[in-house]
Parts: sequence; structure tokens; C-alpha cells
Amino acid sequence: MTSRRTLADREDVLGGVMLAPALAYVVLLVGVPFFLAIALSFSNATAGSLSFQWTGLGNYAAILRDPIFLRALRNSVVVTVGTQVLVIILATAAAQVFRATFRGKRVARFVMLLPWAVPVSLAAIAWTWIFDSTFSVINWTLKATGLLHGWLYWLGDPALALLAIIIVQAWRIFPFATVIVLASLSSIPQEILEAAIVDGAGFWRRLFQIELPLLLPVVAVAVLFGVVYTATDLGVVYILTGGGPANTTHVLPTLAFQRGILGADLGQGAAIAVFLLPFLIVVAIAMLRVARRAEVGGAAR
Amino acid sequence: MTQPKRPNSIDRREFVTTTTGAAAAVALGPTIWLKRPQKTLKILQWSHFVPSYDVWFDKYAKDWGTAKEIDVTVDHIALSDLGTRANAEVAAQQGHDLFQFLSPPGAFESQVLDMADVVQQAERQHGPILDLCKRSTYNPVTRKWFGFSDNYVPDPGDYLKTLWTEIGMPDGPVTWEDLVKAAPLIKGKHPEIQIPIGIGMSQELDSNMAARAMVWSFDGSVQDANENVVLKSDHTLEALEFGVRLFKAGMNPSVMSWNAASNNQALNARQTGYILNSISAYRTAQDNKLPVADDIFFVPALKGPRGTGWASEHVMGIYVIWKFAQSPDVARQFLVDLIGHYRDAVLGSKLYNFPSFTGSVADPGVPMAQKAASGNKWLEQVTASDPFGSNPPSKLKPISTALQWATNIGHPGPANPAESEVFDTFVLPTMFANAATGRMTAKQALDDAHQQVKKIFEKWRGKGLVAGGSGDH
Repeated sequence: MTSRRTLADREDVLGGVMLAPALAYVVLLVGVPFFLAIALSFSNATAGSLSFQWTGLGNYAAILRDPIFLRALRNSVVVTVGTQVLVIILATAAAQVFRATFRGKRVARFVMLLPWAVPVSLAAIAWTWIFDSTFSVINWTLKATGLLHGWLYWLGDPALALLAIIIVQAWRIFPFATVIVLASLSSIPQEILEAAIVDGAGFWRRLFQIELPLLLPVVAVAVLFGVVYTATDLGVVYILTGGGPANTTHVLPTLAFQRGILGADLGQGAAIAVFLLPFLIVVAIAMLRVARRAEVGGAAR
Repeated sequence: MTQPKRPNSIDRREFVTTTTGAAAAVALGPTIWLKRPQKTLKILQWSHFVPSYDVWFDKYAKDWGTAKEIDVTVDHIALSDLGTRANAEVAAQQGHDLFQFLSPPGAFESQVLDMADVVQQAERQHGPILDLCKRSTYNPVTRKWFGFSDNYVPDPGDYLKTLWTEIGMPDGPVTWEDLVKAAPLIKGKHPEIQIPIGIGMSQELDSNMAARAMVWSFDGSVQDANENVVLKSDHTLEALEFGVRLFKAGMNPSVMSWNAASNNQALNARQTGYILNSISAYRTAQDNKLPVADDIFFVPALKGPRGTGWASEHVMGIYVIWKFAQSPDVARQFLVDLIGHYRDAVLGSKLYNFPSFTGSVADPGVPMAQKAASGNKWLEQVTASDPFGSNPPSKLKPISTALQWATNIGHPGPANPAESEVFDTFVLPTMFANAATGRMTAKQALDDAHQQVKKIFEKWRGKGLVAGGSGDH
């Protein structure tokens, strides 16, 4: 007797059906808002109203003349690049440490991963206290140990506030990068390293001339993820500085939020947010090219 | 060949059938099992700075619903999330029936019902709404009541009496200039105090209010009574130059990074001697039994060089009913009844909320013509003898005069979407910060802010929601 074929037996259809929820999720929650944001950026839409008129490139022209936007654009680059530099250094160092065998390694690994697991907003609130301009625990500690004679207004001084943002962003991303680098390190053939040792290469030479070049494709992917996480993040800057002091630490997402949602100028907020797109596309292409070139180069060797 | 099925295993067919059934049950369950009551009322408002108010309000709303056989739900969210949530509800065209803002929601005018009938009904029962509250909820251009104010909150100066006594001013400052005089004296006697005078210049609520208080008290303003942009004036420049002097005399860059709680924390930690805030900082100190509570005293709005003294209302409770609300009539009735219980509301908030209809806190049975006077008398009595444990009990007396010095966002004109955007994008505190830190000269900072304000006003005038323009500076 032949039983009737149901959906569960038809792999061609079933595949599509099982993929559909994920596809619908991406289309509805990423695709539609994305195209809606592009459409709104060409309009005079305001939050609190559903009607709007097309204004062409008016919003883009306005923000390109706006020094606050230009500063936010610059800050986005500074924070993203600064964070990634710090992350690469910290992740490479941490991976070297965790490659070694030592007592309490599992506990240390668990502690290192915590920043990745903590919700961004909660972490940012905790850091707000750490960097508080009046009650900063860093300042009090430095004072108590005699290392600080003046006072650091972490979130009240534009340069220090930007540094604080970079530190927090690096703190939350570096565990992820460390795991990636660590996995990549373990995939480097042992015989290459042993050959280098036999040839008399020391730690630094092995690190810079063997390990890092071999790690490059994976590090590029980690950096790409880091760039996306940092450049599109609203929470850290919004909670830590709110874009202040005096609009000097805005990044594109916080300025878009301030203008579009808080200030109700949805059109201009959308235009600011859309500016992230070319920025991220350029970064993604550049990073993938680096990774590809390193892979091809490695294969050729 | 078909594989024999292992016991306790599940094949693909069963998996697909089971998960599909489970997903359908989860999706459809609520619609099948939940029996909706006939009438509902959904309210969203902030988590009050004085938590006892939420306790009082939630019980009041529940009891009101029980008496009227209406299922009332009250949701509370943080003050800073109100704008985001309102935008989400408008975008989705669904949400709560009553939504409470804490500043004039002019930008939402097209999405809310006209509250004229609710205001009229409340006025018939309790006498006139305060002019300050009318100017925050009525748009003279469209002649629409885009909100209904149940309360406003005075924003006095809070000072530490022992410090000010030590420097020879036991009753605190009277003028803005007093702050500049006092700052070095406080610092001289108490070098451990980091910020002798704590006026925020940051992107947050209290800094916004403080910046306006300074500009108004120096006879400047963002707009005039007819909604013309007049920020760029000699008076505003004078206020700005004063702000620079005040910053240099008594503050440090930490005030550029403050959030809405920072000045409370600084005062309660005795790291500043004066802040501009509602009584919530003091109530928090009381609730936490901090010794500093007994040292916190209040003064009315400080006066500028020509004797003008204005302070913004700290916040103003403004309810709107969305056009897409499910129960607009129930919401209207709730508001009218709420005003009828406002003496309880004021006490529930420990004198934080002041009534928008003064007559609503009048003694029972007072004739309509005397309701406002009776309400004012009760406010004077209750602030002169605080029932919530102040030492001395008369400590809150200065806030009973709030109507003489509290005004609305948009003063001397009405609140409107342009003023709201100027407020919500922190143009004024940023202007003060730019000048105080020397990033710009006072004149440059004023020019910069004025241009921003003009653009914002022009945009909203284009939408027909704001008047003026012919008299712009």
C-alpha cells in the first residue's frame, strides 16, 4: 500500500517552507524598514503624523551643511576605527594568553566572555557610573593611589568622552574577537610553528611574521563584525553621553535618533541614518577584499 | 526501504505536524480563549519620580474601573521613553487610549482628538484651567486643544541651608547674580564640594529648564507672544554671557555630562550647594532617610538684572487621546473624574503634582466663584505644613507661590511643535555649553542656536501648525 505524500515528504517544498519564516523575518524586519527609511529620507515626514510630502534631496542637502552632522560622521569613523584597533590588540593578546595552559583558565575564559553576554544597555549604565564626572571610581582610585592630581571629567570633556565611548565599545566586542582569533590560532598547523622555532624565530617574530599573516583572513572577518556592531550601535553612546557635551560625541545612529524620534523630524533623521549605508558598504567591501587577498596569497604560497 | 522507527523517536512527518499544530495554537490561542470584556481603558504614563503617586494612581484607576465595570490597565514607562513609545503607537495606529506626555506634545496634534469638550466639562465643575496649562495644550493657530493637562510641577531652586548660612545668605539666593557671588565663597569654605552651583548645561530635562529660566529671567526668549523667533537679542546675549560667568565661578565640565538625575545626586551627596529642580530630589533624600534632607530648602525663581524672575514648569502632565483609541469616550470620562479627585492626587504625589485646575482642590461645597481661591488657600496651607514629615514643616512654603513665577515652554507665547523640537533637541543648553566651555564666543553660540531655531520654526510653519514669521529676528 502506498501512503499519500504529504508536505513532510516533499523535500523541495519543505525546504522552502522551513526557510520562509527566516526569510519573512529578514524581509519584514530588515528589508521593509530599510526601504522605508530610504523613502522617508526624501520626504518632510514628521514623527507623530502619517502624512508627508516628497522633498527630493532637501534633507541630504540640509545635513551636509550641518556641522553637527559632519562631526557625528567624523565621530562615527573615529569611534569605529579606534574601537577596532583596540579590539585587535586586546583580542590578539588575550588569545595568546588563553592559548597557554594555566590554572584557572576556564574561570578566566568565562569572565572574559561576560562582556559579550551582558545586555548593552545594562553595561552602558554601569560604565556611566564608572565614568561619572563627579563620582568616577576611576578618578577616586587614581586619586587614592596618588596617580592623579587634577580631575578627569570623563563625560564632560569631548575628547575624554569620545575615549570613554571607544573603551566601552572595545570592552563589549573584544571577547567575541578573542574567541575568533583563538579558534584561528589553533588552526595554524603546528609544524609551521615548530619549523620556525627550529629556525630560531622568537616569540615576536613568530607573532608578526607567521601567526598574524595567517590570522589575517579571520581577523578581517572579526573586524568586519566589529565595525558593523560599533558603527550601527545606538545604546552605548546614547546612554553614556547622549551625544553631549554640546553635541560633540554624537555618532550617526544617536544623531538620527535625536533628530528623527526625539526632535520629530523623521525625514532628516532617516537621511542621517541612511548615511550609514555607503559607509558600511565601503567598509564591508574593503574588509572582504583584504580577507580574499590574504586567502589567495596564502594559497599561492 | 523504510527504516524501522526507533521507540521514543520522532520522524520528520510527526515533527512538521506537531510544530505546525503548536505554532497555530500559540498564534490563535489568545483569540480563542480570551473573553474580552465589553469596555476597556488602557492608560500609559511615566513612572513617577515620587513612587507613592503611582501607587495612588493605579489603585484609583482600578477602583474607578471596578465601579464603572470597565477593565482599566495602567502601564508605566520611564520618562525618557515616552517620545519613542508615542511614535511607535502612532506608526502602528494602535496602543493606549490615554497617553500621558510630560511636555507639550505639539508634534502629535494631527494624531490626537480635540480635548475642548473635556476641558469645558472640567471647567464647568472646577473653574478655569490655569493659563500656564492652557498655553501648553491649546494651539491658537489651529484652535485645537491637542492635550489635556491635569497637573504641572513647580521648578524651584533647591539649596543646602547650612552652606548658604555659612556665607551669610541663610535664606538662599534671590537673584541669579547671587549664585556668582556665592560660588567662590562656598568653594572657599568647602573645597571638598566639587560643584558649588549645580546648573546643568547638558542634553537633558533639567538643563533644558535651567537654560530657559536664565534666558527668560534676563528678558530674552525663543519666540515672542506671536510665535516670531526672537532668540537672537541683546537680552539673550546678556543671559549667555552671564551663563559663562556662572560656569567659571561655580561649576566645572561635569555639568556638561549630567543626566536628569545628576543634579539630585550631586545635591544629596553634598557635592553642590544649589540646583534647579522639583521637590523630587528632596523627597528621594527623605525616603532614603539621608541626613541631607533636613538641610535642603527651597527658593522661588531667581531674578535677573531687571527684576524679572521666571522658571519653567518642571514637567507638565498632559494626556492625549489618540484618534485611533479604542475607547475615547471612556478615556474622556476618566479624565473628568480624575480632576474631581485631584486633592487626593496632589497628596498621593507628596505635593509634587500641582493641579492644572486650582478649583479641583478647593474645599468641598465651595461655590464655583470661590473655588480657585479656595484651592489656592489649600495649597498654601498644605505646603506651609507639609504632612509628609518635613523638618521644619513649613519648608515647602516657597513653592506655593509657583503661579507667580512658573511659566510654560514657549513663554511668552504658546507651546507649539517648533518649541517642542527646540526643547527636545536641546538647542538652548547646547548654546550655553558652547559658550561656557569657550568652544564658541557667546555671540557665535547665540548665532548658531538662532539659525537652528529659525529652521525648525520655518519647517513647522510650512505644516500650518505655527504662526509668526513676519517678526522673526
